[in-house]
Amino acid sequence: MGESPDLISDLPQSILENILTHLSIRDAIRTSLLSTKWRYKWSTLTDLAFDEKCVSPSTDRALVETNLVRFITGVLLLHQGPIHKFHLSTSFLQCRPDIDQWLLFLSRNGIKELVLELGEGEFRVPSCLFQCLKLTRLELCHCEFDPPKSFNGFSSLKSLTLHQILVSPEAIESLISGCPLLEFLSLSYFDSLVLSISAPNLMYLYLDGEFKDIFLENTPKLVAISVSMYMHEDVADFEQSSDYNLVKFLGGVPLLEKLVGYIYFTKYLSVGDDPGRLPITYIHLKTIELYQVSFEDANEASPIQLFPLEEESFDLFERDYFEYKLPRLETVRMTDVSGIRNELEFIRFLMGTSPVLETVIVTSSLSDKDARMEMVVELLRFPRVSPRAQLLFLQD
Amino acid sequence: MSESDMAIIKPEMMKSYIWLETSDGSIQQVEQEVAMFCPFICHQVLQKGGGSSKNNAISLPQKVNPAMLSLIFDYCRFHQLPGRSNKERKVYDEKFMRMDTKRLCELTSAADSLQLKPLVDLTSRALARIIEGKTPEEIREIFHLPDDLTEEEKLEPLKNTMDDPRIRLLNRLYAKKRKELKEREKLKSIEVEEHVDERSVDDLLSFINGRDHKVVNTSKRKKKTKKRKEHKNGTCKVSNKDSHNLHSKQRSVDETSFSLGGVSNLHNIEDDIFSRKAEFEDGYIDDEIDPALKEMLDREVEDFARRLNSSWVLSVGQERQPVHFSINGNGDTRRLTGKEGGGDEWFDFSSVTLGEASDPPEYDKVPSDREELVLDVPSSSSTSLFTFELPLSISELELLREDTSR
Repeated sequence: MGESPDLISDLPQSILENILTHLSIRDAIRTSLLSTKWRYKWSTLTDLAFDEKCVSPSTDRALVETNLVRFITGVLLLHQGPIHKFHLSTSFLQCRPDIDQWLLFLSRNGIKELVLELGEGEFRVPSCLFQCLKLTRLELCHCEFDPPKSFNGFSSLKSLTLHQILVSPEAIESLISGCPLLEFLSLSYFDSLVLSISAPNLMYLYLDGEFKDIFLENTPKLVAISVSMYMHEDVADFEQSSDYNLVKFLGGVPLLEKLVGYIYFTKYLSVGDDPGRLPITYIHLKTIELYQVSFEDANEASPIQLFPLEEESFDLFERDYFEYKLPRLETVRMTDVSGIRNELEFIRFLMGTSPVLETVIVTSSLSDKDARMEMVVELLRFPRVSPRAQLLFLQD
Repeated sequence: MSESDMAIIKPEMMKSYIWLETSDGSIQQVEQEVAMFCPFICHQVLQKGGGSSKNNAISLPQKVNPAMLSLIFDYCRFHQLPGRSNKERKVYDEKFMRMDTKRLCELTSAADSLQLKPLVDLTSRALARIIEGKTPEEIREIFHLPDDLTEEEKLEPLKNTMDDPRIRLLNRLYAKKRKELKEREKLKSIEVEEHVDERSVDDLLSFINGRDHKVVNTSKRKKKTKKRKEHKNGTCKVSNKDSHNLHSKQRSVDETSFSLGGVSNLHNIEDDIFSRKAEFEDGYIDDEIDPALKEMLDREVEDFARRLNSSWVLSVGQERQPVHFSINGNGDTRRLTGKEGGGDEWFDFSSVTLGEASDPPEYDKVPSDREELVLDVPSSSSTSLFTFELPLSISELELLREDTSR
């Protein structure tokens, strides 16, 4: 073999690390076999991501589990320098003491982003996690989370995702309030959660699950909300709260740009006594998406209530113009529309108050062609303030 | 036109250019907006006022040669236009990245010295795509990397953790064997394939038993000796093994005896060594063996491995097992272990592999002096071959015989 110059080993370390980060962890470690120069190039990678693809596949679960544990332990032991990102996503690992050890190791190595998606089990997050004060992103899935009394929150945390976590609501509340820089919050798969969220920098809120009571106490910078709620059919449970849910939930978000609601969204919002006007206007609202939100219950507040209007009670269909404006609303999407009056009212309202509205996408759930036709005819009647508004009908 | 008119028109028609000097001394000018896309040039122009004239050309970093510079400016010229859609840019990037590896590396280097991060990311990703999924040999081939790790180093990522004399010995043997084999193979490349052994099992076994010593198996068959791993248990759990165990092309069978490897347990080292070699020498060996024969041998070994997996009872590791090395052609080490207790289980294996059921071979006592056996010179030691863990396949035996009749 002729003497060809080595093409790649002399590139700066930062570039080589960049290249290695685009490889799977397994391929990256294999480079240590290439030549003497490459022996330790992988060991200073700061981002590590593991899943069951790191080890050979096998039908024997226990085997995969064992191999994966050995692999991760091996990598951590051989690693040099700080580790900033650690992602572990595998259903093969549930509850193992090895994970505790890894977390301890990471806590001593300046971990900043930790993603732990385990299989269904009762993995209890060890206390060393609460000493990782440099954390900027934490994502836990299928764990038990129990912060010690002395825990004051993660002062640098910007993103928090908790999915199916066993934790007390007080712990979540104090965690959220203990993270002043929190910008992204996602809580999913909780049962009957009662929460009061106080996060001055929060911008994105994602909720999914059974929530009994959510109070956005102090979230002035919230830009996007996505709420997917499952409620018991029995609304009586909810009547206990005296405050109007709509206000509690959407009353303090003046910067809101995107609102996404699923299923029982309006039902939830309608619970409580209606105090009348809302204190704020949504001048930044750009997108409204309601998926399978049923407007069936006549008691349900139509989201129109969000928007303060001059007269307190009126029949919308009588009005031809609205003074209220949603100056930035561009997109509205509603699915499972069945032509109920509340729904139509709502759409008409939106079309009449949005000067820059571009698309209204309506997906109908009606199977009867005639009924659908009626609904479409009705919708087409509505006056539009925006010259560019388009009404799109999609079939379910 | 009057002169004043000319004076007015000229500046409007002229685009501003920046003068650049590359590492080889040649000077060129480039449109300003294109050149300013590179942070390095931008900095030079703004902070130091360079590039305004031929004499004041900005000298570019050493890694930037004219060819790379023109490539980079093509890239800049396309991307600095704000009107392009994301899709257009992506399509352009994909096409742009189609070049040979050498140029890709040079481009990465050049883009990095000009601090053009988007292009560095693009080239890094392209290089990563080249690297992923390939074996170390392939990667070495592509990038012209020297294969300068010793066997020891290939095993042990941490230096000096294994001061085991056996490993060093092994390394020496490897080196020697490799050299030897290279020469022999040149001579015998055809012969091996034709030797499909038809003799009876008894014959083969008897000569094995009767022999003084056996080592030096110059079989060129690439041993799927990774199967060996089954014999190991995981007694010594030193985690550094893991990274190497990853490397071998394991079948799932192998993973059962995935051992974290012990410094202290020579078996483990052994297995890794030859599994290592088995993989790396792949290309080397495969060229010389008839594929059909290879397949047959592979199947044999696999079949055997499966049975071994199911019925082997391991007690290896509890005591120091005397190990016998048979170093074959490509440096693979075949470990023939003497099992003091002499279990019954393995009799089956031999019959399976050798294709015929027969009386279990008799295995003599284990030689006490390992080192003696390890050396490849046929010695006159009276110790005979003890027990096989893995029976030799037919061609191996043949070669063994051939070898010792040297």
